[in-house]
Amino acid sequence: MRGSRPLVPGAEARNGKFPGPSLIPALNAIQERLGWLPREELVSLSRDTRRPLYELQGLVSFYPHFRTEPPPQVALHVCHDLSCWLLGSDDRIAALRQQYDADADVELVEVSCLGRCDNAPALAVNDEPAHVDGADDLVARARVRTAEEEPVAKPRRHEPWPNDPYTPADSSAPARGYRVLRTLLAGDLDAGQVVQTLQDSGLRGMGGAGFPTGRKWSLVAAQDRRPKYAVCNADESEPGTFKDRQILGDQAHLVLEGLLLGMAVVGAEEGFVFVRHEYGPEADQVRDEIDRLRGEGLLGDDVLGSGVRLQVEVFVSPGGYILGEESALLECMEGHRGEPRNKPPFPGVFGLWGMPTLMNSVETFADVPVILERGAQWWREQGAGDSIGLKFFAVSGHVARPGVYCVPMGTTARQLLDLAGGVAGGADLEAIQPGGASSNFLGPGSLDVPLDFDTVAEAGSMLGSGALVVLAEGTDVLAAATNILRFFRNESCGKCVPCRVGSHKAHEILTEALTGDGLDDEGEAQLLELERTVRKTSICGLGQVALGPVASVLGLQRGGTAARPQPRP
Amino acid sequence: MTVTADSSERVDTVSVTIDGRELDVPEGTTIWTAAKEAGIDIPVLCHDERYDPVGVCRLCVVDTGGRVFAAACVRPCEDGMEITTSSDELERSRATLTELLVVDQPPPGDDPKQTTTGDNLLLDLANGFDVLSSELPRGHGRGSDLSNPVIAVDHDSCILCDRCVRACDDIQGNDVIGRTGKGYSTRIAFDLDDPMGSSSCVTCGECVAACPTGAITNKPINAVPIRPRAELDAVESVCPYCGVGCALTFYVDRERGAIAFADGRDQPGSQGRLCVKGRYGWDYAASPQRLTVPLIRIDDAYPKGPLSGDVRGDSDEQSGRSGRRRKPGGLVPYDEVMPHFREATWSEALDLVADRLSGILAEHGTGSLAGFGSAKCSNEEAYLFQKLVRTGFRNNNVDHCTRLCHASSVAALFEGIGSGAVSTTYGDVINSDVAIITGSNPTSNHPVASTFFKQARRLGTTIIYIDPRAGKAADHADIFCQIKPGTDVAFYNSVMHEIIRSELVDRDFIDERTSNYDALAATVAEYPPERGEQITGISADVIRQIAKVWGEARAGVIFWGMGISQHTTGTDNARCLIALCSITGNVGKPGTGLHPLRGQNNVQGASDSGLIPMFLPDYQAVDSSDLRSRFESAWGTELDPKRGLTVTEIIGSVLEDGVRGMYMMGENPFLSDPNINKVRKALSALDFLVVQDIFVTETAEFADVILPATSYLEKDGTYTNTDRRVQLGRKVLDPPGQARSDWEITQEIANRLGLGWSYESPREVFEEMVGLMPSYANLSYDNLGSTGKLYPNADPEHSDGTVVMFDERFNTADGLAHLVPAEWLPAKELPNEEFPMVLNTGRLLEHWHTGSMTRRSYALDTIAPRAEVYLHADDAARIGVRDGEMARVRSRRGSITLHVKVSAREAPGNCFIPFHFREAAANLLTIDEIDPVGKIPEYKFCAVAVEPLSEARV
Repeated sequence: MRGSRPLVPGAEARNGKFPGPSLIPALNAIQERLGWLPREELVSLSRDTRRPLYELQGLVSFYPHFRTEPPPQVALHVCHDLSCWLLGSDDRIAALRQQYDADADVELVEVSCLGRCDNAPALAVNDEPAHVDGADDLVARARVRTAEEEPVAKPRRHEPWPNDPYTPADSSAPARGYRVLRTLLAGDLDAGQVVQTLQDSGLRGMGGAGFPTGRKWSLVAAQDRRPKYAVCNADESEPGTFKDRQILGDQAHLVLEGLLLGMAVVGAEEGFVFVRHEYGPEADQVRDEIDRLRGEGLLGDDVLGSGVRLQVEVFVSPGGYILGEESALLECMEGHRGEPRNKPPFPGVFGLWGMPTLMNSVETFADVPVILERGAQWWREQGAGDSIGLKFFAVSGHVARPGVYCVPMGTTARQLLDLAGGVAGGADLEAIQPGGASSNFLGPGSLDVPLDFDTVAEAGSMLGSGALVVLAEGTDVLAAATNILRFFRNESCGKCVPCRVGSHKAHEILTEALTGDGLDDEGEAQLLELERTVRKTSICGLGQVALGPVASVLGLQRGGTAARPQPRP
Repeated sequence: MTVTADSSERVDTVSVTIDGRELDVPEGTTIWTAAKEAGIDIPVLCHDERYDPVGVCRLCVVDTGGRVFAAACVRPCEDGMEITTSSDELERSRATLTELLVVDQPPPGDDPKQTTTGDNLLLDLANGFDVLSSELPRGHGRGSDLSNPVIAVDHDSCILCDRCVRACDDIQGNDVIGRTGKGYSTRIAFDLDDPMGSSSCVTCGECVAACPTGAITNKPINAVPIRPRAELDAVESVCPYCGVGCALTFYVDRERGAIAFADGRDQPGSQGRLCVKGRYGWDYAASPQRLTVPLIRIDDAYPKGPLSGDVRGDSDEQSGRSGRRRKPGGLVPYDEVMPHFREATWSEALDLVADRLSGILAEHGTGSLAGFGSAKCSNEEAYLFQKLVRTGFRNNNVDHCTRLCHASSVAALFEGIGSGAVSTTYGDVINSDVAIITGSNPTSNHPVASTFFKQARRLGTTIIYIDPRAGKAADHADIFCQIKPGTDVAFYNSVMHEIIRSELVDRDFIDERTSNYDALAATVAEYPPERGEQITGISADVIRQIAKVWGEARAGVIFWGMGISQHTTGTDNARCLIALCSITGNVGKPGTGLHPLRGQNNVQGASDSGLIPMFLPDYQAVDSSDLRSRFESAWGTELDPKRGLTVTEIIGSVLEDGVRGMYMMGENPFLSDPNINKVRKALSALDFLVVQDIFVTETAEFADVILPATSYLEKDGTYTNTDRRVQLGRKVLDPPGQARSDWEITQEIANRLGLGWSYESPREVFEEMVGLMPSYANLSYDNLGSTGKLYPNADPEHSDGTVVMFDERFNTADGLAHLVPAEWLPAKELPNEEFPMVLNTGRLLEHWHTGSMTRRSYALDTIAPRAEVYLHADDAARIGVRDGEMARVRSRRGSITLHVKVSAREAPGNCFIPFHFREAAANLLTIDEIDPVGKIPEYKFCAVAVEPLSEARV
């Protein structure tokens, strides 16, 4: 009866995190019903569940999805982060403010990256995403909309991506999809073989950290404690990063097959796709695919008579970039504030509800079926040069054809940029960020770097979240880096001192410098000292990289590639 | 509180190198702890060993050779780890982190901590790192919250270390404080970001004790400034309020002769925790209303009777003052009472007392005098008081408020297991699989004990709470049964029925350690769960579930309070609890046992010391000639072999011309006894009453002589808490005016009655007592130390004492637990059409008994200033009263008017009134029916009508 909580060294204290089921679904239900969370509802929820009021306050104030006042008729959310900023979001927002500020029914909020960087500057009206140009239409529609309208389904891409072993016909015909999963469940493939193949393939985590996938799966498989869980991290939220959105939309079947394979291999019965709130249409694709899986008997208590229980559901994030950090994501799923845990222990040992949890990103899971179907060697051969496999990149900023590209790992930045039509308007290049907002800026001299984990790191940046952001000549790179810093400051959870206060102070220093006389030596020294401290002492990757781009710009301006080594989140 | 690993489970060790020193530490040890044990200090802000680490301030970062630094407070040592705790880069990081925090702080001259206790940890660090003057952009303006009367919150000073969050949750289990917002705008918040003063905060001050900066600090009380600890005199003492007996330290400003603030002090029981009364409720002693000279009733004030309107029982209507409240604060109106007394010298007053008492004794014989001692006074004072009555009044008419609280529990315990004390401590709950808390509102009445219950639950103990009111404990229970009032016997019989039926009894224990099981089994056989459901209102399934949980537990403990004892079936109620523990073998091993939570700080000690009519000290029966003769030889006089009268019997006896003179030491029966109208008559009828107290109480209005005594804070003495822990209370302040210690006054009276006492100090009295009290053997002022000792204690020099009693035999003559079956009987006064509701009475967290102390405490009276009747929303609607409106509550004995509080904690048909408020004294309504064995009144059940004031009958 006693000591039911798993004791794993290093696991943090309860500290305000209440045991028991998550209250986030209950909060969602109230908000669904009323559109917001009135105080009386919170008080009675607290009384009914015997959970403290402060716990509800902590959640409601942490997650942007929750409202404590009635919603406006029109919620106009405009992105102000890097890719949109590069394409003039500041001016567009100013114009929209002028247009709508007097309208009581419109609430204009500047929000963090919506993940629509290929359609920048982006906005969302009542959660429907669009280019800023579409604002008036959407607002007009929102003003007359009474009932919830079905969003227009986005057409699926016809050509399969190169990491998809299935033809479009496979994907629509019954019993022709999910071949690898069926093989595993039929016993024609065993968990050991899966792990071995993944290890042989050299597949690494595509969420940014690049941890070898086969090793992760074998580590979680080796854990004794049950139940285990598996989570697909689809909370991609970093400015410039939207490849997972494309993959979810086009390859939900691969993501789910990879997740289910992972579950079967490590012994997890329950899996979750944790998807960011802003990816509503994509979440629907995933739900449709889950329905299909269920229809084909691939989910249930005894899947295809294998004796294996597999259940998968979509968990929609209540919002916040920090939830992409794996332990913050778990905290959120448990119903707590999304504050990253001190690690170790890692989720593979102490994950969801303190149990061993397999966690991979969308792209990683999506790569698994093809590797198992075509073999490790095939995957290795897909890379360019010494690199292994395929890689999805989101390309945005000052580029002719922003979008998602799947290319051989090791493709150079220049090749990728060319594929995307080069710098917009044929301008010269000022700088790139090869790996999303947290990666160090590289100058035009680094364009021939092969885009792979180690090569980009050697060049002084990182592959990161697979997002190439392009800055045309003449862009104020320090201002761009300050824009990124603002994003990290806004998205800092506030748990630890260096990130919470350091990112804020650094942003204040830069804002003052950019609006005033520029950055003097003392300011630069302060920033570099802050960068070092925040990088070395923050709990999680967000803090560790928050000041990185700024410091890299200061390095670039001094003729170097970067001021300090690229931290890996 | 979660811990990384139980020490008993740690078997493996890991080898690490810290700053070049190789160490082997148990697996799971954090780097910070390992370093500390090696004598290496790593600076911290958020970490404190009282709390589990969270690793948020990052001051304790160390270099483990990784890409980033690790927080030593939370990072476990790993085998082969090489750790550097100090390097240029680490020190620079710590300095920068400190700078980031300090730049947002108020200047030291404005810092709420630096300007009071002067021990702001952050400023210390900032000084050390020389970052007090930083060039970083300053931040400010996060606001402050001064809504709590005694605690100030300054958000600018807050560094979000989460110590207060952990203190509130994991130590006190109050669950009020959390973080609100996100990122740089994160703040701590109370409830739904409410002002602290209107939140669910109970002002225990644990957050103040936890806060390392000026974010949460004590406000000065009564304008006594809070100065740095070093400038104040720290006096180690014990809390004067409830039976939990928390250890604390008073910080005394000697220049001002006043207490500046109090802090919890570590002790094996209370572990440094306090509640609002202990931490903030000590200023009553400095009240200008303290008695400072002896007073004698003037001739014009005879014939005797009450002197103030409230005590006379005037209603607003009668006095023609309807709509106008008499006195804010509800204390005895000194302006009405004092003119009836004149000041006297000590010798005049004491001579008068002795003359009158000896006169009554000479005229009316040995049955004519009686004394009420007090459970607020020390063991020594209780001992001397009963010695005075027994040797000077020459009878055993000595009692105190134990009669009103646990007399029935003690009676049942004596009969069943031969000892009235608890069989285990409240802290032992940590070893229990299941704990039943019943007839108790521990979060209000034993707040610090309740923190251990809540904490145990978080570590896996199943809490079953059984009470007619859904007290806060219900929020922390796994199973809560809102039982119908007065149905306890039926409930427990039913549970036992089911335990026996499902063969969950401990056969060996029953055979070897108990007697009379068959009779018990025969009785409970008549109480199947369905019948239990019918009587108690608790579903048969829940009764079965409780039987299963209790029956299957390896260790179960029962804590109970007045809800069990204050019934006409109080003794039967307690008998059932004894039987429930006994038939399942839940006595005598860790995590098991019987614990009646004692009310007063020294009700255990006063009873131990013989302040009860049937027992000499240490429960040695007066009617046993063997035992009595021991005292006769020790005290050198013959003793009355007849049991004396109890509190309630004495009041009755006065009305029948039995008892004619009384000595009242610190007792205020006017408010605390049932059926006040009867008490009023009795007190008026006494030939002579001497009241010894620190204030003019309601009872003192009837006095012929009032003697000014010292408060708890002005004398030395020992006090025995609910756990049997005997602790030293130390003199903190000088007494006001001519006030004298109770024991000295008692000695003066004794000597005027010719007893020839010559005690020099409480220490000397204690030595005499210990010689006569086997349970207290080996204890002395010298070995009690600063944390006290549990009795029995074979070796107080080295041992804290006995936690679990009766591991081999019970204290009964045959060593067996005697099981006594009980049949359920309904309460004496059931609701009817005219009086349709059941009244329950009890206490509030903030107040103590008749309020003479707490209503003179700034903090306590500000937080809970007024009398309220708690009603279920349905009843309020039916009656037609709304929250905050005035209502009249009537019983067959009296009526009072007070505010309505609509409460989710009452069941429909029941209401609750705290008895602290003289202006709406609940005991005007209560019934003076008593338990036939324990002689305790039925405070917990009488029939009343609640009416809107406008329609109330005059």
